[in-house]
Amino acid sequence: MSGRELDNRPYDYEGDRRTTVISRTVTRIVVPLILLTAVSLLLQGHNLPGGGFIGAVLTAAAFVLIYVIFGLEYVQTDVLRMSPDGDGHSPVGAYRWLFGGGLALAVLSGLTPILFGYEFLTQGVWFFKHVPLYEEFEVASAFFFDLGVYATVVGALLTVAAEVGTE
Amino acid sequence: MMGGQPQFVLAAVLGVLFALGTYLVLRRDVVRVVWGITIISQSANVYLVTMGGLSGFAPITGHGGSAESVTDPLVQALVLTAIVIGFGTTALALVLTYRVYEEHGTIDMYELGGHGE
Amino acid sequence: MQPTPEVVLAVVFLPFVAAALTPAVFRVLGERTAYFAAATALVCFGLVTQLSLAGAHGTVSYEWIPSLGVSLAFYVDGLALLIAFLASGVGVLILTYSGGYMHGEPGQAKYYATLLAFLGSMLGVALASDLISLFVFWELTSLSSFLLIGHYTSESASKYAARKSMLITVSGGLFMLVGFLLLVWASGQALPESTYSLVVLLENADAIREALTASGLLVPALVLVGLGAATKSAQVPFHIWLPNAMEAPTPVSAFLHSATMVKAGVYLVGRLRPLFLSEEAPLLGEWTLLFAILGLATMTVAAILAVSSTDIKELLAYSTASHLGLIVASFGFANEYGAEAGAFHILNHASFKAALFLVAGIVAHEAGTRQISKLSGLRKHLPVTAAIATVASLSMAGIPPFNGFYSKELLFEAAWYAGKEIGGLGYLFPVVAVFGSVFTFLYSVKFASLFFGEENDNLGHVHSPPATMLVPPAILGLLVLGISASATLGLGPETPINAFVGHVYGSVSPGDPHGFSVHFPTELSPYAAMSAVTILVGAALFPFYDRLHDGINALLRGPVRANWWYDGAVEGLSATSVRTIPSVQNGLLRTYATWALASVTVLALGGYAAAGVSLPAFEGFAITLPIFLVLLVAVVGAVAVDIAPSHVAGVLTLSILGFMVAIFYILADAPDLALTQLVVETLVLVIFLLVLNRLPAFYGEVNRSRAARDAVLALAVGATVFVTVLVTTAASPAEPIAGFLAENAGVPAEHPPFFTNAGGGGNIVNVILVDFRAFDTMGEISVVAMTALAILTLIRMRERGETQ
Repeated sequence: MSGRELDNRPYDYEGDRRTTVISRTVTRIVVPLILLTAVSLLLQGHNLPGGGFIGAVLTAAAFVLIYVIFGLEYVQTDVLRMSPDGDGHSPVGAYRWLFGGGLALAVLSGLTPILFGYEFLTQGVWFFKHVPLYEEFEVASAFFFDLGVYATVVGALLTVAAEVGTE
Repeated sequence: MMGGQPQFVLAAVLGVLFALGTYLVLRRDVVRVVWGITIISQSANVYLVTMGGLSGFAPITGHGGSAESVTDPLVQALVLTAIVIGFGTTALALVLTYRVYEEHGTIDMYELGGHGE
Repeated sequence: MQPTPEVVLAVVFLPFVAAALTPAVFRVLGERTAYFAAATALVCFGLVTQLSLAGAHGTVSYEWIPSLGVSLAFYVDGLALLIAFLASGVGVLILTYSGGYMHGEPGQAKYYATLLAFLGSMLGVALASDLISLFVFWELTSLSSFLLIGHYTSESASKYAARKSMLITVSGGLFMLVGFLLLVWASGQALPESTYSLVVLLENADAIREALTASGLLVPALVLVGLGAATKSAQVPFHIWLPNAMEAPTPVSAFLHSATMVKAGVYLVGRLRPLFLSEEAPLLGEWTLLFAILGLATMTVAAILAVSSTDIKELLAYSTASHLGLIVASFGFANEYGAEAGAFHILNHASFKAALFLVAGIVAHEAGTRQISKLSGLRKHLPVTAAIATVASLSMAGIPPFNGFYSKELLFEAAWYAGKEIGGLGYLFPVVAVFGSVFTFLYSVKFASLFFGEENDNLGHVHSPPATMLVPPAILGLLVLGISASATLGLGPETPINAFVGHVYGSVSPGDPHGFSVHFPTELSPYAAMSAVTILVGAALFPFYDRLHDGINALLRGPVRANWWYDGAVEGLSATSVRTIPSVQNGLLRTYATWALASVTVLALGGYAAAGVSLPAFEGFAITLPIFLVLLVAVVGAVAVDIAPSHVAGVLTLSILGFMVAIFYILADAPDLALTQLVVETLVLVIFLLVLNRLPAFYGEVNRSRAARDAVLALAVGATVFVTVLVTTAASPAEPIAGFLAENAGVPAEHPPFFTNAGGGGNIVNVILVDFRAFDTMGEISVVAMTALAILTLIRMRERGETQ
């Protein structure tokens, strides 16, 4: 698929006519890997390279790959089990909830410390000793904030991609 | 770790990139203006990272480990969000361009500004 | 006794609360909202009375911006209570009077809400002891004055007047703010800690004054604060806004533009008097030179202008400016008589001038005209009003035994002693004081004369005013008589009025003041003689009033008028804007971009040149070969974007730049950035291609001369960036915050099972994002969410908006 082709032909959302078997097969294998990587980047972000932003853009990239290779309708009907766009249950509706919810989660995680007498957005770290396998296990409250960041960015990017894509 | 040595090559490169971006921003084709903005924001990110120093280690430390001689993590945090927001800006600019075309049937800045030739 | 904090807070904020409720109240009460507003003012008046009777003196302070040392602090003393009394007391009368005056007028909810907000602001100005709080309340009074002057929003005269007062008073306030900051700076030099507190400044007046003198900032600070006071109190040459302000409904003129707001400037002069004027101050120090001369000039010029007036409200407006000049001049003299005169005249002026304004309102309302030439013999139709007007006018003229006489007598005393002790040219002080007072006498008697003599034939039927309009001026008239009686009987310093003025006098004098009392002059002192001369010359000139009036008007042409300068400046500015806009803001993006970028370039390069920044010497390339190569490819990519023949080619080459930047991040040890940049670059490419597919292949013919001009600008921007990067990378900040972040991001070697004081993560960048600077991140994800919303709106709602 070259840019020249995209430029000259009207975009066709049926999609699969323009993509090859190879690209579709590779996508089937690669997308789960990308998503896995994205989630692990999100989870390990506090200590190793990664975090909410990176995990989010990678997740969005995985979805955009599906859009490009299989088309939007495939994602809506087969992956997300939704009826086609038009009755309010479009994926964009779900994405909107995602970025709204993400923002709310980030704010809530910032407000929670106030209940315990800390200032807004204070982040704490717990260490649990003697956890099987890990011996010492670390939980950072910042993770919830990061999760909010993740959800917001994924929701926003997918909204953008889907809106531009359906046009 | 920080600064101290003037970065002649980077200064020259950033100067050229900004000049190229500026030239694009002044064009009459809206898409080119968007490109210009993209180039300028990319260059600004590179500038910020340069300000953090290019000679340290990646800002990742082990537990209890030393945090000596890492590159400035603050600029990296700034740039990280700037990249994502930059994407949002570019996408918004593109959608705006598209809607402008839908409404006015042109993406020529002169026609849009009422200065058609 | 310390003031009760709740009472002080209630005094200031109750009017604001009432103002917020006014629109709702107006729905229920309609025109009777006047009584709701008057009741609010009455409650404030009661609270102020309670503070006064309890002998409250001290500060009430609440934290506001603790990191800057700014607080919401109030200081209760004699001067503060006087202004608070005036504001709330006159407020009760004015709001009651408004019930009658505003009958059937439009925009009443707005009117009462603004008046109440003004009342709160004025009480705030009077009581605030923190310089920033004072400034905020100060500008709030300007703002409410603007709204009230422009009450009749459709009339161009109202708009002109409102804008004029706003421009003059608000800009004066800004000068005052700078003056305040100089005082704060001086306090930092003189005291262990800089302070915004007026009380602390006044307590350490000598040290502050020394610090200011040592740094040569005494005169600048005085002039800046003086500008604030002079613009607010309509001193020459800033008096021009006050006559125009008479476009406001008459109750507003009486309240804001005679009794209270214009007193704010006088208040400030009085408040800062003990700070700048020590007990052993020289007779002709900076303070006296500035304020005595300013005050006397205003008193004389405004009195002459009052004689030239053709409209009763205009006459009263100039007269107000003149009397404010009298008070400023009194405070300007470095002797006790000056302090006494100023303190006493604030009270006297408010009493007679508010009464006269309300009288003018009645006349305008009932006779239907404000033209001096058309009014005469009103006594037959308005007997009570005529009595009030006579008493108040005689007091204004400074005729014994009315109260205005006594405060003017004190001014003469102050001017006389100042002149005598300075000698030589110093005698100009008493001479000018008498000269100005002659004109005061003339216009005061003229105002009273409107009620006497033959009735003018052109006057139609004159109605009787309703009680709500008659009772307030009557109360003020009785107040004039009360103060006059107290003064004429020579009551001792412990009687209520004298004790009260004594407290004010204490607030405006350095050192320990004595009690206050005045007496009817029983022997021929020089200042008694000055009064006598004033009255005799005034009486002798009165038959020639009309000739004087015409003569002054004939002289007032062109640049002699301050208005000529104001109008010229404003018109010049708007004409310049009208000429500039087409070349700066013509709807073309490139024009805006050119101006913005060119200005930034000029400012930045000019700034470097002005600061003497020199380019660092070349010390080697400072980067590794891989980085150099990557950057080279990036530049090639960018050049390719600029010369791209089609949209698609441009997007693809743009991607080269983006991916090279990602590799640069890897080489610059920024793994998070590299990952993000790689993925985002892919997404950008996809979005670009999706959108470009629907856009026309417009490439735009390049106009050669235009391209050359753009290239010059682009080169200038590039050069600016080049210099900036060189200069900034060569600099070494003393204590980069990176060190703190790097040390606190990780898990401390010794740590409890739960802690909040360190990041507890190995990835410092991520810890910054989610912990140290989490608030910023929250803002940034909000931006991302907003972008998505904006795109949704642009696409989904396109059918709902207006389309072409």
